[in-house]
Amino acid sequence: MSITNVTIQPAAAPALTPRERERLALLADRLIAGGAGLPSASGAEVHTQWIDRAMAVRADLDGAVRAVLALEGDPAEVVERLQAEDPALFGSFAMAVAGAYLINPRIRRELGYPGPAPMKNAALPDEAESYLEDGILDVVVARGPIYRPTPAS
Amino acid sequence: MTVSPTADVLIVGAGASGATAAKHLAAAGFSVVVLDQGGWTSQSDLPGDKPEFELLWGNHQWHPDPNMRSRAEDYPTNLDDSEQPVYMYNGMGGSTVFFAGVWSRPMPSDFRVRTLDGVADDWPISYEDLLPHYEATDYDMGVSGLAGNPAYPPGGAPPLPAHPIHLTGRKMAEGLNRLGWHWWPGYSAIPSRAHGRQAQCERLGVCRTGCVIGAKGSADVTLLPEALRHGARLETGARVARITLDENGLANGAVYFQDGQEKFQPAKVVLIGANGIGTPRLLLMSESARFPNGLANSSDLVGRRLMLHPFGSVVGLYEDDLEDWMGPAGTQIECMEFYETDASRGFVRGSKWHVMGTGGPLEMATRWQIGEGVSEEPFWGEQFTAKMKQAVGHSIDWIVHAEDLPEEHNRVTLDHDLRDADGLPGAKISYTTSENTHRILDFGLNRALEAHEAAGATKAWITFRNFSSGHNLGTAKMGDDPETSVVNRWGRTHDVPNLYVIDGSVFTTSTATNPTSTICALARRTAEYLVENRREQEVSTA
Repeated sequence: MSITNVTIQPAAAPALTPRERERLALLADRLIAGGAGLPSASGAEVHTQWIDRAMAVRADLDGAVRAVLALEGDPAEVVERLQAEDPALFGSFAMAVAGAYLINPRIRRELGYPGPAPMKNAALPDEAESYLEDGILDVVVARGPIYRPTPAS
Repeated sequence: MTVSPTADVLIVGAGASGATAAKHLAAAGFSVVVLDQGGWTSQSDLPGDKPEFELLWGNHQWHPDPNMRSRAEDYPTNLDDSEQPVYMYNGMGGSTVFFAGVWSRPMPSDFRVRTLDGVADDWPISYEDLLPHYEATDYDMGVSGLAGNPAYPPGGAPPLPAHPIHLTGRKMAEGLNRLGWHWWPGYSAIPSRAHGRQAQCERLGVCRTGCVIGAKGSADVTLLPEALRHGARLETGARVARITLDENGLANGAVYFQDGQEKFQPAKVVLIGANGIGTPRLLLMSESARFPNGLANSSDLVGRRLMLHPFGSVVGLYEDDLEDWMGPAGTQIECMEFYETDASRGFVRGSKWHVMGTGGPLEMATRWQIGEGVSEEPFWGEQFTAKMKQAVGHSIDWIVHAEDLPEEHNRVTLDHDLRDADGLPGAKISYTTSENTHRILDFGLNRALEAHEAAGATKAWITFRNFSSGHNLGTAKMGDDPETSVVNRWGRTHDVPNLYVIDGSVFTTSTATNPTSTICALARRTAEYLVENRREQEVSTA
């Protein structure tokens, strides 16, 4: 089983209802429409899976997400009005959607960010020297000291 | 009230300064008790090895603002009159648990700003006075770096080899060379090789959310275990309410709360290491008939001259994939080109810069939304994925730290309307960024934009212009004159001969450098002074 098809169970907060998830898919796609080789929010399963993972660690965003999902109207108009009239609520909702989208390992891979979580990558023994071996520091050293010494008392 | 056996030395606070003093004093044979209001932080609880680490960092449990965390060990801060938030971490290791490990020394001129630049005050000590303690604490904290930096006087090499400057540092170094500006591989309290109790850095790049592998020079990893090994007693969940005095005006211990119980720890000598907010709070809470204005506050300077040391940042985007998440997060290269005063720039003193790892993808999304000149650009909808694809992995982040000169109206006082979990008053912060600090930041940020252009950035913008660094400094000023300072050159309060302050609150000026190296050096210097003068030290016998 790969990391990308593990089903994540939320640790806290009641799960969103199927109707809320449908609404989330519509609204989240207004924020992340997809392109440049990356899927939309719903294409990345934000509404079915990753929103649970995000809200499990950010209970403080739960109220904002549910409040936005309760807003009625055309999704594009809802998002546009929210951004203009209630930037704080929009910001919390956008954080939840973007946070859910960006913890999907498939999305991280497409963005070029390695691994589902920060990866161990210890330096090789001569790696530090390799960045300096062509004398890139020589001009800095050649210009000499740039500090002001302690004045004689 | 529960009373423990008398300690030779009582230390309040188990952060960088308290842990440094505890290690050295316990190793010298003193009986040492350390009281800290927080507890130990388990590496397995830290966010940095979890997919949600960026979301976790911003949540209430791990937020750097104690008001946001609101843990039992945190005390509230009133920020109504502060331009800046105040960041700190209360617990074993203190704010080193979350610091980036940037290990930066001031320059010699920092200790003589009145003599050289006609501003603020000279420190009563010099760079040379602190040099042996800088070099000793470099070993304590597993510092990696490259010797020979022309920004500093000659001295010993860091104990461990420098980390790779990586693709980000290399790209920017090439740009700085085109401009003829100084740069040097960064110094980090993060070991490039295994060192003592510290593992070799694995470059996860999550230093600011706590090191999950025990590599970073967190005081709870490096110093406190050594203090314990030498017999120090560390008390967690122990919140000090007041320092007490005997009839002769000597400190004789502290009253503290632990598990809801009031307790007393008697001691011959008391050291306070609660840093720039907690230390003045405790001194002000320790008022008495002898010191009605707060303990050791005959100068009326306790709490004043607060320097929050604001920083700015400039992020640039590049065609090349620079793997900008690579650790150690703190610093790939540094630049001291604009550190010293140049009167033609319209301000005194200057700034220290370093290239940091930008972080994960959510951090990059935030940078797009807060940037000057880009926050008005479309980001959501059709733009989101294109902009993230353009930026993630492709950025370089300049951090510009300005020197923040002291002003007496910037201060910490008590807020009796806010209370911590033990009913003690909160800290009220009054802080306005000075015009000189603004000018330093504006100048530095404009030069950093030029550096990005020279390095080949396709786009660059200012993401922070003036924001709190978590460096809380200056509120118990060090000086020779008891009328214009709180502590003397050894950290001893002028008013109470066996009460010492050993943390960032004693900074006479902020310098433009990250302060933890100097905090540790000062604490070690005070500890050494106590060891060498143990027979002459006045102590309470009550």
